[in-house]
Amino acid sequence: MSLQSPSAEALASLFETRGASAITMDLLQPAEPYLDTAGEALRRRIYLTRGEAGINLCLRPDFTIPVCLHHIERREPLPCRYSYRGLVFRQPRGGEGPRELEQAGIEDLGEPNLATADARALADALASCEVLGVEADSIDVVLGDQGLFEAFLSALGLPDGWQRRLIRTFGEDRQLDNVMAALANPGSTSLDNVPDGLLELAREREEGALIRAIRDRMEEAGLPPHSGRTPQEVAQRLIEKVATAEGRLSGGSIDLLKRFLAIDCPLAEAADAVRALAEGAGLVLDRAIGFFETRNLALQAAGVDLSAITYRAAFGRPIDYYTGMVFEVRPKGGGVTLAGGGRYDRLMTLLGAEERIPAVGFSLWLARLKEHVRVANEGAAA
Amino acid sequence: MTITLGIPSKGRLKDKTIETLAGAGITVEPAANARSYRTSVTGFDGLEVLLLSASEIARELRDGAIDFGVTGEDLIRESIPSPGRAVEIVARLGFGHADVVVAVPDSWVDVETMDDLGDVAGAFRARHGRRLRIATKYWRLTQSHFTRLHGIQSYRIVESLGATEGAPAAGSADVIVDITSTGSTLKANHLKVLNDEPILRSEACLVKSKSRRRSDAEELLVGDFSGRFGGMAPGA
Repeated sequence: MSLQSPSAEALASLFETRGASAITMDLLQPAEPYLDTAGEALRRRIYLTRGEAGINLCLRPDFTIPVCLHHIERREPLPCRYSYRGLVFRQPRGGEGPRELEQAGIEDLGEPNLATADARALADALASCEVLGVEADSIDVVLGDQGLFEAFLSALGLPDGWQRRLIRTFGEDRQLDNVMAALANPGSTSLDNVPDGLLELAREREEGALIRAIRDRMEEAGLPPHSGRTPQEVAQRLIEKVATAEGRLSGGSIDLLKRFLAIDCPLAEAADAVRALAEGAGLVLDRAIGFFETRNLALQAAGVDLSAITYRAAFGRPIDYYTGMVFEVRPKGGGVTLAGGGRYDRLMTLLGAEERIPAVGFSLWLARLKEHVRVANEGAAA
Repeated sequence: MTITLGIPSKGRLKDKTIETLAGAGITVEPAANARSYRTSVTGFDGLEVLLLSASEIARELRDGAIDFGVTGEDLIRESIPSPGRAVEIVARLGFGHADVVVAVPDSWVDVETMDDLGDVAGAFRARHGRRLRIATKYWRLTQSHFTRLHGIQSYRIVESLGATEGAPAAGSADVIVDITSTGSTLKANHLKVLNDEPILRSEACLVKSKSRRRSDAEELLVGDFSGRFGGMAPGA
């Protein structure tokens, strides 16, 4: 199960050199933080159990959340880096495959220089792979950036509701295609069932009258007035929805968005590709591209070869606490994820931190890495 | 050497099942003892009938504890992780029709589709400090509908054991996923069904367990029994 001790020691010493303090976490973790942040879909993938007092517990399915909770509880000075190594437990898809997997990684909390912290996470992940015997030319590294995607949407001037819908599906290509198809055809939004009278009020942006009508309906249904959606929230969204459905979007915006999402090139060329697209369309994207380039410089300073990394504009994770860079390491030509990471600036506050704490991290799938090295060595020997 | 068939132990489902079996030449005898869960049949030698609750039938099929069962497709898809592997739908029986649907308060005049609900769910945490809550007894169907089909990640399921339609008014959930045949219960509770395709159009099915171990002779009986229902539309 575990790697041979020389590589385990090498990894531990790498983590230490990179300023991460090793911590250990309980195998049994509260399940609520997982279900609340990663979503209900995780329920199928984790091993849940119930404590005597009815509290849901699970066998640790990852380290990121326990590390964040550990930090929130102890309030250690920021910025700080934590490293971990141990088993995680996942229900295999289709019921076949390993249930226990060994992971190691680093979580980097509170570093205000986001570009530096991003670069450090990716550089450390690649250095870890190297320490474990992975040849640089045996892997593909893909990087995506939700921040750049969001900035592009904003520069396109799409209605807020559409921007949110696109951001929500970022990283799920099929869902994103569906949203874009609907966007290309605004008439597809159904307003048929909006009750008589309310559609008119929404068109005329009569928010006060709408709120009263919706409040009456809520009262009639006996909905509790202080939990859940408010009449104002429903009214505002109806107004926005009607305006978007009946507005006209230029076909050009959708075409630009598709061209953006199609960008798939070496990281060294990515900023120029995005800039060329933005400038050609008269979009102002300087800040986001500036950050992207700053991070690239930081990556180079950390010894990362930008030409060996692929930037894919459509690569992301549809979990709402991811906010910026995401990356993934796979065997060249495809296969299971060997290592992955990303920036999750929204997670700490979701878990109860009082202030926003920028955070980025990565994890290594140790058994898969070991297998990858074994296969690569066999290939080399033959 | 016998094979077993689980049928619903009460109500309309039980009556319609007995009618269907009669149509296939199999008469279910009233149990010798009114409290017994086991009864015999005439018209098919080697068939034993167990009276079980509909959800128990789905689980027993999954575990291979019975050879056949009559139960709703909703319960099959909810109780069995990979239905295609554990069971086979031999025939759709044409009764017990009901849809598993997503219903929201009718005062949510801005929500007509899953896309709308996705927008609401996505913004919920920031506005209300918690995830959108869905009351249901169908957590597996709900997850695959919300997450896999519609890409909605941000919601919580509140497991409901009865009277799911009352959850929004009780304040224990914002929306529900439930089974409905006419929609009148939902309407009476000021809930409306979304315009999209329902999560599942369910009906009563005759289902064969594929995970049960059987001797060759029992396999023959199973084949004969399935054959009696060959005229009906087979399932997925």
